[in-house]
Amino acid sequence: MFQALRVRWQRWVNRRIPRTDKQVFSQRNIFILPTGAGVVFGVLLLIMLITGINYQNSLIYLLTFLLGAIMVAAMHQTHRNLAGLELTLVKTGEGFAGDSLPFHFRAVSGKHDAVAISLCSDGHTLDQQHVPARQAADMTIALACHQRGYFRPDRIRVETRFPFGLLKAWSWVRPVSCAIVYPRPVPAPEAPSTVTDGDDQSSARSVEGNDHADMRPWREGDPSQRVLWKRYARSGQMVIADWEGEQGSPHWLDFHAFPGVDMDLRLSYLTAQVLERGRSGAPFGLNLPGQMIEPDTGPAHVARCLKSLAVLGIEKPRDDSSAPFGTRQTGTTQEFAVGESG
Amino acid sequence: MALSGLAATSGIHGNAPALPTRALLWLIASFAVLLVPQWDRLPIWLVVTCVVLAGWRYMAQSGRVRLPGKWLKTGIMLVVITVYVGTVQGRFTVDTAASFFVLAVGLKWLETRSRRDFYVLFFILVYLATVNFLFHQQIYWAVLNLFAVGLLLVGLQVLNAPDLPDTMASGWRRLGMMLLKTLPIVILLFVFFPRMAPLWSVPMVSGQARTGISDTMRPGDISNLAQSSERAFRATFGEELPAYRDRYWRGLILDYLDGETWRQGREEPFRRPGRVAVDGGAGELERGQYDVLLEPTDQTWAFALENSVAVSDNVLSADDSLFRFRRPADSSVRYRMKLAAAEVTRTDTAEPDNVRRYLQLPSEGNPRARDLAEDLRATAASDREVVNALMSKFREQEYFYTLRPPAMPNDGVDTLLFDEKRGFCAHYAGAATFVFRAAGIPSRVVVGYQGGDPGADDEYLIVRQYDAHAWVEVWLQGQGWVRVDPTAAIAPDRIELGLRDAVADEGSFLENEWASPQRYGDIAVLQWASLQVDRINYQWQRWVVGYQGQSQMDLMSRLPGGMGLKELGYATAGIVGLALLIAGLVSAWQVRGSGSRDPMVRLISQWHRLCERSGIPVRQGETPVQLAQRIGAARPAASNTARSFARLVNKHYYGSESVAQSDSRNAMRRLLSTMRRQLQRDSGQANTARKTPARSEG
Repeated sequence: MFQALRVRWQRWVNRRIPRTDKQVFSQRNIFILPTGAGVVFGVLLLIMLITGINYQNSLIYLLTFLLGAIMVAAMHQTHRNLAGLELTLVKTGEGFAGDSLPFHFRAVSGKHDAVAISLCSDGHTLDQQHVPARQAADMTIALACHQRGYFRPDRIRVETRFPFGLLKAWSWVRPVSCAIVYPRPVPAPEAPSTVTDGDDQSSARSVEGNDHADMRPWREGDPSQRVLWKRYARSGQMVIADWEGEQGSPHWLDFHAFPGVDMDLRLSYLTAQVLERGRSGAPFGLNLPGQMIEPDTGPAHVARCLKSLAVLGIEKPRDDSSAPFGTRQTGTTQEFAVGESG
Repeated sequence: MALSGLAATSGIHGNAPALPTRALLWLIASFAVLLVPQWDRLPIWLVVTCVVLAGWRYMAQSGRVRLPGKWLKTGIMLVVITVYVGTVQGRFTVDTAASFFVLAVGLKWLETRSRRDFYVLFFILVYLATVNFLFHQQIYWAVLNLFAVGLLLVGLQVLNAPDLPDTMASGWRRLGMMLLKTLPIVILLFVFFPRMAPLWSVPMVSGQARTGISDTMRPGDISNLAQSSERAFRATFGEELPAYRDRYWRGLILDYLDGETWRQGREEPFRRPGRVAVDGGAGELERGQYDVLLEPTDQTWAFALENSVAVSDNVLSADDSLFRFRRPADSSVRYRMKLAAAEVTRTDTAEPDNVRRYLQLPSEGNPRARDLAEDLRATAASDREVVNALMSKFREQEYFYTLRPPAMPNDGVDTLLFDEKRGFCAHYAGAATFVFRAAGIPSRVVVGYQGGDPGADDEYLIVRQYDAHAWVEVWLQGQGWVRVDPTAAIAPDRIELGLRDAVADEGSFLENEWASPQRYGDIAVLQWASLQVDRINYQWQRWVVGYQGQSQMDLMSRLPGGMGLKELGYATAGIVGLALLIAGLVSAWQVRGSGSRDPMVRLISQWHRLCERSGIPVRQGETPVQLAQRIGAARPAASNTARSFARLVNKHYYGSESVAQSDSRNAMRRLLSTMRRQLQRDSGQANTARKTPARSEG
C-alpha cells in the first residue's frame, strides 16, 4: 500500500519534471515542506499560544503571531531561493565502475539570490553553494556508479533550507545525458594466449589452437558451416567457431580469449588490457561480439575502445522513459549476461 | 534524563564541534540577553554557572579546551542540580521553576555539538523569551526580548549558510524585510485573534516579595516604602483630576493591635479563586468614573478613592467599603470605578454590629497614652471633640514628620507622643488610633496611598510607592466612619503637595534611590522626559499588554458588523488564509513577471507571452527574426509588425550605441500593442473560419 503510493508519487513527479538537461525552477516544480525542526517549531508555537491564553498575556500572543508570520515569510523566502534558478547539465563525467563520476552543472540564478543550494542524489551530496542574483556558478556533484554502461541518475535533488532550516524547498533535475561507465579494470589472470611474440600474422597462426575452438563474430567470407547455428537460434548472433587460434595475436584483444569467464569479468579483463596497452602505446585492436575495432593507438582510440566495452550489449536509455531509470537498465544487462555465459 | 538521551544520539564526540562558530556566538549572545530580564529572580550562583558553562562551550569551539566527557558531564550535572535543590529547599514557586528552566539551558551548552542540539537550544531559548514575558511586560523589556529572538533568528541564518559573505548585515536585513512584510498580518491577528478565557486557572504568585504595602503595619514599615519610587498604579479620570488632598486611595483596614503591630482583625473571607479579567471596563470613561491600571501586587487588594463603587466586574465589593479581586493580581490589572455622591454611600451610618472590635487594645502598655485618652474624654463633650482635641494637640505642639524616626522599642506610642515627637505616618496613625480606642471611640487604621502626580499633559495620575500612607477612620454617631488624618495636622504639606515637599527640609526624599528621576524633581527637563517615557509605557500597558477580552469586545463593538468571539475566530482564519494567499500570489507573480528590471528583456518576454497566447509556441534558442518569420507564416496580418519588432530587438543588442534607447523602446511598445491587436483580430477570424487545434490552448 505504502509502496504503491510511493510509486504513484514518483510517477507523478516524473510526469511533472520531464527529463531535460536544463531545468528552470518555478512554482510548477518546487516542493516545499517543513523540516523536522519546522514541525517542532510549529508545536512550540502552539504551546506558546496556549501559554498566552492561559496567562492572558498579550505579549506572548504577539510573539507567537510574530514568529508564525516569520515562518510564513520564511516559506516565501525559501521558495524564492530556488525559484528562477536555472540548472544546466554541462558535462557528464566518464569513469570506471565503482568510481564516483562527476556531473558538472552550471547554475544561473534569477532575480533573487539563490542561497545555500545543495545537490544530492542517492546519499551523495554537494554542500551548499550560493549563487548571487543574476550570476552563474559551477556545481559539481560526484555520483557513485557500480555498473558499467550508461549511467543516468534518475533524479538529482536540488534543495535549500535557507534561511532558518525550518522549511525545505526542493526540486529535481532529471538529466537526459548519460555518463558512460567503463567496466572496472581487473588484471587478467594470465597473459591471454600470447602464443608468439612475432608481429607477422602468418606466424601467429598456431596448430595448437585446434585444442580449443574460440568464438568470434561472423565476418564476411566466413564459411557458413563454421557458424554455430545452435547458438544463433538461442541468441540471434552469428558466431564462428574459430579453429585457427587467430585470437593469439598480440594486436588483438579478444572478448573470446577468456573461455568460461563471466561476461562482465571478461570486459573487466579487457579494460585492464586496453588501459595497459594505452599506457605502453602499443597498437591494438578490439574484437567484441558484434563489433570489431581495427588496431590503432592514441588516447582517442583507447577512449573508443573503453566506450565500446562499457556499453557492450546495453541500449542507451530512451529519453522519454517514464519508468524509473535504474530498474530498466539493470534488467537488460542481466538478460544479456545470462544469455551469453550459457 | 532528556539531556543524556540527546548526548547519545548526537553522535559526535570528543573535540569536534561541527557547528559554525559564529552561529554559536549568536546563540550565546541571545542567551545572555534573555538572562537580563531574569536578573532579579535568579540566584547569583546560577547566573555565574550559566556564564561559565556557555563560556566553556565557546572556548571548546575555538579548540582551547575540551568539552567534558561523559563522566565529567554527569558529575557537573549532578553537582549543579544538587546545589539547585539545596537552594530551593522544597519551596516550589514560579521563580524556582523559571530558574530551573535557566539551569537546564545552561547545562545544555555542554551538550551542543550537532545541528540538532542547536535547534533544541533555539526552541528552549524562544520559550525562555516567552517566560520572560510572563514576568516583565514593560515596553523596554519587550523590546529586549524581541531583540534576543531576533538574535536567535539571525543565528539560524548563520547556521544554515555559514559561508555566506556579510552574514550579520544581510541576516538582519533579511529578517527586517520579513518582519516588514508580515507586520500587517501580525497586527491584524493581534487585534482579531479571539481572546479566550484561560483553559485552566493558573495564579502565578511569585515567592519573591514585591515592593508595596503589606497586610501588617509596624511603626517603621511605611517609611521603608517611602524610599521606593516604583509605580503602584495609574489612574485615569473621566473629568478633571481630584484635588491633591482628596486623593486618598483606600486599600485595606487594620483593626487589631497585636503588641506593636497592627493587623487585619478578620481573615479575608474565602473567595473561590476565579478568572480575573486584566482589562476591566470598556468604552469611554463617563463623568465621575475612573480607571485604575494597577501594577502587579500579588495581592487581592484593589485600591479605590473614598466613596467609590465598582463599575467593572473584575473587582468585588468587600466589607468596610473596600474592593477585592478574585485572585491575586499577578500581572497588571485595569479596573474601573465610579465616585458616588457622598450621601449614597453612607449605608454604614448605623452603629457597626461589633463595635467592640474597633475598641480592642492590648491589655497593658503605653500608660501615658491611656491617661491622655482619659483626660481628653473627661474634658470633651462628644466623640467629635475628643478627635478634634487630639488633632489640635498634633497641630499645635512640636510634632515632626520625618523619614528618619528614632527607634522606639518600648511603649512606642508613649515614646512617640510624649518623648520623641518624631515619626512617620504609620507612627501617628497607630498612635492616634490607640488614643481614640482608649477613649472609647471605635476607630481603625486605613492603609493605602495618598496623592499621585499627574502624568504627561495631566492625562492620568501616577501613584508611586512613596505615596503609601496610613491614616485613621473613627466611627462617629450619626456620621458613620469619618476619616481623620494625623499627618494632615502635623505636616500639611504631605497631604497638599506630597512627600517630596513634606520632607524637603530634611533632604531625605528618595535618598537611596539616586537613579530615580523622581528624586530630581527640580530638573524640569528630566521630569518632562520621565513623564513622556511613562506616557509611552502607559499607552503600551493600556493598549498592547492590556489588550484582552474586554478591550477586544469593546473595539469590536465599535467596528461595523458587531463581531462576537465566534466571528473573531472566523476572521482570524480568514486573515491567515488571506496572508497565505497573498504570499502565494506574490511569489507566483514574481516568477511570472519574468522578474527582470531590464526593460528590453521585459519587452521581449511580453512578446513571447503574446505569441504563446496566440498559439505560436516559442521554441528554445529561436532568434527574434526566426520567431517573426513564424508569426508571419501563421498570421500574415501581423507579419510586418513582427519583423519590425525583431529588427529593433537585434538593433538593440547588436546595433551601435548611438540609437537613443528610450526611443526605440517606445517604438517597440507601440509595435507590440499593434501586434496584439492584429493577432487578436486575426485569431478571431481564424476561429470563426476554421477550428484550429492550435487555438485550443488560448
